[in-house]
Amino acid sequence: MKEAKFQGILPTHNDNVSHDHPLKEFTTLLLGAVGLILLAYWLLGFAVDGAVAHISPETEEQLFAKFDLPLADKLVDDPEDQARLQHLTDQLRPFVSVAYPVKVLIFKSSMANAFALPGGYMAISTEMLAKVKSENGLAFVIAHELAHFHNRDHLRGMGRGIVMTALAAAVTGPNSSLSRLLAPTSQFGQAQYSQARESLADQTAITALNGYYGHVGGVDEFFTQMIGMPEHPVLQPFASHPQLKRRIERLEQLRVKNGWQVKAVTPY
Amino acid sequence: MGDLIVFLVLISLGYGFGKWNEASHYKSIDRREKRLVYLPTTNSRKPLGENGTVQRAYLVSGSVVISVDYFKRILAGLRNLFGGSVRSYETLVDRARREAILRMKESCPKAKQIINLRVETSSIYKGRKNQIGSVEVLAYGTAIEYERG
Repeated sequence: MKEAKFQGILPTHNDNVSHDHPLKEFTTLLLGAVGLILLAYWLLGFAVDGAVAHISPETEEQLFAKFDLPLADKLVDDPEDQARLQHLTDQLRPFVSVAYPVKVLIFKSSMANAFALPGGYMAISTEMLAKVKSENGLAFVIAHELAHFHNRDHLRGMGRGIVMTALAAAVTGPNSSLSRLLAPTSQFGQAQYSQARESLADQTAITALNGYYGHVGGVDEFFTQMIGMPEHPVLQPFASHPQLKRRIERLEQLRVKNGWQVKAVTPY
Repeated sequence: MGDLIVFLVLISLGYGFGKWNEASHYKSIDRREKRLVYLPTTNSRKPLGENGTVQRAYLVSGSVVISVDYFKRILAGLRNLFGGSVRSYETLVDRARREAILRMKESCPKAKQIINLRVETSSIYKGRKNQIGSVEVLAYGTAIEYERG
């Protein structure tokens, strides 16, 4: 057999690489991943709600009894203020249907803030106390936090936080650059859920205030004070709370709808 | 949020530079392949054709390390979630393989053919989990020179 003569020929087409546009593949995969995470977050959210429904206040107290007092290093010891806040909280509790005792803590912070914390603690910042002018305004803030206890939002929020962290770690591995890309997705899910719960708490709080005082004067006092604080229009979908303007509008809509009156506020 | 901005900058830079780099590399590969097409390079155990007496036979090798850009790495990471062919790494391996063979051919301008070609690949960075960043390709073979006449 005669040996074939070698001839150098270059291939006309490279079959070893894909000729699709990489951005197309990137977009498809990214949308798929975002969709999967939102779906998983949504489904696991239901599981958290289911679990929270089975945690009674007694169980919650037992669960968190072993933990340190929240914000322990920032707590302010002001018996007089604390007693007044505690009294107001105890007075408001029946109007928000919170049957178990809630302990009020005051903590030092330059941010006007209040939290409903697991274990039956309500933390109010010193700046918050400085911002509100009337007892009614303060009562709204307290009733709002009590509403979170009533709706068990403090546990739901924590459960979702755990789910979010676990999800990020499971899907992409901790600290990978991919998790940085996908983190906003779960943050968005978290924020949207949180905003819905905040609106619900506002609604419960205004109803409680009307029940307690017989009118809803001073409900938007705190929000009005806060207007002008930086709020990012682009990042708003990722924020934990709805926009202040929207919150004030919603409260006003509720007031008009229910025919609640606005009377003079009790000074604090 | 700051994290995400840094990330977006990195990925855009990766995409831009990666694309530019790849295009210029392919241009150079195409040009050199055309120039060196005269040198038969095969994995045959014996020289091809009747060319006379072999004067010299010696080992020639060419190797290259090519790194993946940030964009391709993220794309491969996303691909990791769903499975399927990792297209973003295909050009990387293709470029490395062709570049290594070209370097090997360029190392022996007097050779009339290269036989027994072998191509080996390994990834550098293997120890770092999730960070496999570059590929090494080594091409080696036996260069043959014939007696003049």
